[in-house]
Amino acid sequence: MDFIVEYYFDFGLMGDEFGRVLDGFWLTLKLSIVGGILSLIWGLILAVLRQLPGRPAAPLRWLAIAYIDIFRGIPFLLILLLVSGSMAAFQSEGVIPRELGIPTWFGEGSPFWYGVISLTITYGAYMAEVYRAGIEAVPPGQTEAARSLGMSHGQSMRHVVVPQAVNKVIPPLLNDFIALMKDTSIVSILGALEVVQVGRDIQSEQFNGSGLILGAILFLIVTIPLARLVDVLIARQQGRTQRGGKPAPARGLAGGASKEGDL
Amino acid sequence: MTIDAEPAVSENSNAILELVKVHKNFGSLEVLKGIDLSVKRGSVVCVLGASGSGKSTLLRCINLLEPPDGGQILLEGRKLSEVSSADDINYVRRRVGMVFQQFNLFPHKSALENVAMAQRTVLGRSKSEAADRSEELLERVHLGDKLDEFPDRLSGGQQQRVAIARALGMDPHVMLFDEVTSALDPELVKEVLDVMRELAGEGMTMIVVTHELGFAREVADHVVFMDEGVILEEGPPAKLLEDPGEDRTKRFLGLVLEH
Repeated sequence: MDFIVEYYFDFGLMGDEFGRVLDGFWLTLKLSIVGGILSLIWGLILAVLRQLPGRPAAPLRWLAIAYIDIFRGIPFLLILLLVSGSMAAFQSEGVIPRELGIPTWFGEGSPFWYGVISLTITYGAYMAEVYRAGIEAVPPGQTEAARSLGMSHGQSMRHVVVPQAVNKVIPPLLNDFIALMKDTSIVSILGALEVVQVGRDIQSEQFNGSGLILGAILFLIVTIPLARLVDVLIARQQGRTQRGGKPAPARGLAGGASKEGDL
Repeated sequence: MTIDAEPAVSENSNAILELVKVHKNFGSLEVLKGIDLSVKRGSVVCVLGASGSGKSTLLRCINLLEPPDGGQILLEGRKLSEVSSADDINYVRRRVGMVFQQFNLFPHKSALENVAMAQRTVLGRSKSEAADRSEELLERVHLGDKLDEFPDRLSGGQQQRVAIARALGMDPHVMLFDEVTSALDPELVKEVLDVMRELAGEGMTMIVVTHELGFAREVADHVVFMDEGVILEEGPPAKLLEDPGEDRTKRFLGLVLEH
C-alpha cells in the first residue's frame, strides 16, 4: 500500500511539478477547444451536405456519406499518423508550401496543428452523425410549414430545421466533446507536450507516476462537470416534452396533441 | 420572378384556381383519381369526406407539397407544368398559403417571429417592416397580447391562429385549411373558426377541408364531397348538406352529425 501511495500520490512531487503539468494541460485544453470547435463546424457542414435534396446533389450526398463512413471507421491514431506524415512529406516534395506542410500558426507547433486537423477529420465525422440524428428528429411538418411559406430548402434548413436540430443534440455533442478531449492525449506521439506526455516525462525522470495522476485529476475537473451538464440538459429536454400536464397560463394542447410540433 | 406569358385557358374568367383531371398516386395506391374543381376568386369552398378520401392530398397537390402525377392545375391563369419546376413552386407558394392540422409553428421562435420569419427571408421585408406587419396580423387574429409568447406557452387555438397569421403574412391570394380544428379541444374550435369566418368576410379565397358542417353551411359558397379519390358530389351548401343526391354522402353526413 505504501508503495502505491508513494508512487502515485506523492503530493510533494505534485506540488513541485504542478506548473509543468498545468502547462501540459493548457495545451490539452487548447487542442480540445480548437479541435472541438472546428469539428462542430465541419460536422454540421457534412450533415447538411448529406441532407441536400434532389438528383443534382446526389454526388455531394454520396461523398458526404462515404466520408463519414470512412473516417468513423479508422482509429484516430492512424489518421494522426497519416496527416502528420503526409503533410510533412508533401511539403518536402514541394507539393504544398512549407507553411502549410509544417504549420506553426498562432505560435503553436506543427504537432498541435496536425492534432487539430486530425481531430477535426475524425470527430467531424462522428458529429455529422449526431447532427443527422437531430435533423431527422425535427418533425416533417416543420419543413412543410417552411416550404409552404415559400422558403427554399436552404432557408428552411437554416432558419427552421438546423436551429431545432442543434438544440436537440447538444447533449450528445457534449459527449463527443468529452471523447475528443481525451483523445488529444494521442497527439503526444508527435511530441506535443500535452498533459499526458508531461506526466510520462516526469515518470521516466523520477520513477514516479504522481504526475500522471495529477493529469488525470485535471481531466476529471473538466470532464465530470461536463458529464453532469449533459445530464441536466437531457433532464430539461425531457421535462419540456412532458410539459403537457404542467399548468401553463394558457391551457390547451401545448403539450398534448401538438407534441409533433413543439419540443 | 418570371411570369409565364401563356394566356389563361380558363373557361371561367372568375376562377382563381382550376383543377383539371388531377391524379396523384402513392406507389400503387391511387389517392386522387381525376379531380376537376373550379374555385372562384373570393369564394369559400369546403371539402368534406371521410378520412382517406383524398381531401388532404388534394390541398397538398394544390400548393405542390405533393406534385400531382397527372392533370392540370391553373392558378391565376398560369398553367403549372407536370414536372413542377422550381419556378412553378415559387409561383404557387407566393400565392397560396396553407394552415395545417398540427399547426406546425416553429417552436424555437416567438409568435411574432413565427409570423415575421418568411416575410423577411422570402419577401425580403426589413426587420421593422416585417415586425409591423406581423403585429398587425396577430392583432387581426386577436393575439395582439401574445406577440412575444413561444408556441409551447400558447393553447392549441392560439397556436392555430398564429399559424393563420403566419400564412397571411405572405399576402396569399388563396388560403388552404387542412382540418385546422381537428386537433383542438372542442372549446377552442370556435375561436379558430371565428377568425376564418372574418377572413372569408374580407373576401379571401379559401379552400377548407373540414368536418365542421356548421361552418360549411354558414360560410361556404360551394361544398365538395370527396370519396375514394373522386369528387362524388358538389354544390351549394344548402343543397349538398340538406338534400344530397348520393347515398354515400347521406351516410357520411349522418355519421358526422351523430358524432
